[in-house]
Amino acid sequence: MSVSETSSASVEKANPVRETIIYILMAAVAITTVGPFLIMLSVSLTQDIRFITFPIELIPSPVTLENFQTLFARTDALRWLFNSVYVAVISTLGGVITSSMAGFAFARGDFWGKNVIFVLFLGILIMPDTALIVPQFVVLSQLGLVNTYTALIGPWFASIFGTFLLRQAYLSIPRDYDDAATIDGANLWQSWWQVLMPQVVPAMATLAVLRFMGNWNSFFYPMIVTSQSDMRTLTVGLGTVARSGGDAGLDMAGAVIGFLPTLLVFVLMQRYIIRGISLSGVKG
Amino acid sequence: MAAVSPSQRATSQFLRRLRRSLPWYPFIIINAVIFVIFNLVPWISMFRYSVLKTDLLSTREFVGIEHFVTMLSDAKLHKAMLNTVWFTLMYIPLLVAVSLGVAVLVNRPLRGMKTFRALYFLPNITSVAVLALIFRRFLSPRPDGPINFLIGLVGIPPQRWLIDVNQAMPSIVGISLWEAFGYFMVIWLAGLQAIPSELYDAAKVDGANGWRLHRYVTIPLLRPTAAFIIVIATIGALQVFGSIFILTGGGPVNATTTVVYQIYSEAFNFGRFGYASALSILFFAIILIVALIQSRYLRFGEDVY
Repeated sequence: MSVSETSSASVEKANPVRETIIYILMAAVAITTVGPFLIMLSVSLTQDIRFITFPIELIPSPVTLENFQTLFARTDALRWLFNSVYVAVISTLGGVITSSMAGFAFARGDFWGKNVIFVLFLGILIMPDTALIVPQFVVLSQLGLVNTYTALIGPWFASIFGTFLLRQAYLSIPRDYDDAATIDGANLWQSWWQVLMPQVVPAMATLAVLRFMGNWNSFFYPMIVTSQSDMRTLTVGLGTVARSGGDAGLDMAGAVIGFLPTLLVFVLMQRYIIRGISLSGVKG
Repeated sequence: MAAVSPSQRATSQFLRRLRRSLPWYPFIIINAVIFVIFNLVPWISMFRYSVLKTDLLSTREFVGIEHFVTMLSDAKLHKAMLNTVWFTLMYIPLLVAVSLGVAVLVNRPLRGMKTFRALYFLPNITSVAVLALIFRRFLSPRPDGPINFLIGLVGIPPQRWLIDVNQAMPSIVGISLWEAFGYFMVIWLAGLQAIPSELYDAAKVDGANGWRLHRYVTIPLLRPTAAFIIVIATIGALQVFGSIFILTGGGPVNATTTVVYQIYSEAFNFGRFGYASALSILFFAIILIVALIQSRYLRFGEDVY
């Protein structure tokens, strides 16, 4: 269900005083959520700024990109950005495709162990991933996979949540499509790829957006499996910047670099994000 | 012609079943492999390492259940558990109240409402690193730091926030709240909008109005949503890590050391991977118990939302 503009609860008559109060309240909340980002942007464009002090001038004079130049010169931020894009794109594509395949198998398949595997997957979905991080590190270090893209991407290459989401999507397609495809001589791969998958594209898009944001913003796991600066993702790298105690200008330049890609995805894909939450209440 | 024996029939049924099954396995093989490497094997190794004393490098010694005995008298762990409970008890009621309040506020057919909702969601799309970069500066103990300046406007003296033993955890709660309320607002909205307007009409016919309308229609019908939100948020709260790791490193004086942070610290600061594995089992058990207590409200698959 999508979150619609109108509401069943608000049946009150329009009342200008009441409406004004509501707008003032809403604006106040909006200032608390948007304000920090505006200040972040403003400080990142300010010359020689060690601390953020109030009252603050929102439009710096002169506007400068020095902080960004310093950030890229002094840290591996450019490399982190590349790592994040690479890891997030491969993880998202991989996770969505494998979820689509497995979702199809669990919706339509008739194979040994289907129910057992399904319950096992359900078990993983319930398990908190933070509790498994130390054992995951132990296993990955024994396999010699610390500081590799394999470790960063691996767990994201399959999504149990995505498998469930897509299984539901496939279940909503009438069996007639499968039958028609079979009569036309299609094998399983052909009826999956050519007949059924095109009909679950909206669900796959929702999953893709949730996975991308989740991967881009993930911190604990990628921090644990990388110790070299050049293998860090942007989120992990910025974490080290935050802990290093540099200039406010430098910090906020980092924050802007970390914030813009997610903002872009949010603005373009907002519909899918909101739908994903309403659908499931679970992130990525 | 001889009749087919039962065992032969069973064999041919077996073969038919196998032939029907085989084409499906390639569809789940990648999921299964990833599951084995990144979940099943670590899960088993967690139990194996919980009885070892090891730094993964030189020492490796079998200690039996010693780690679990140590837990009973580990003061730092007890402090971490109390901190986790303290965080959750502050965070959940505030989160529920704020996200519901905002959801009710924006659940109206007014112009620009979609924009406001999107703006409230903004903190939620941000990574914890960006959040930490911003709030480390905002919560500066300087008198002219952003938050201190703002509270100064209403006459409150400057505070030390993240570097104060008593204020560090409430500060983390505030940041988490700021990050999460937009997300839970969306879930509340879905719940609010699923209430059929006929129910309000019927209640009005029965003479209910204003507060009583909410008391007898909205609140009872939101109970599943509330239960769902509390479960999800509690499990999230018990796992809080990123903001603490970046902003306070568990300090000052362990004031923000949570169970997850303690597990991290034992493993990566002290190289006690055996003890950290045993703590992971404990943490699993805690989450499982909390989830089980709350789980009768949880529904998977076809949701009400």
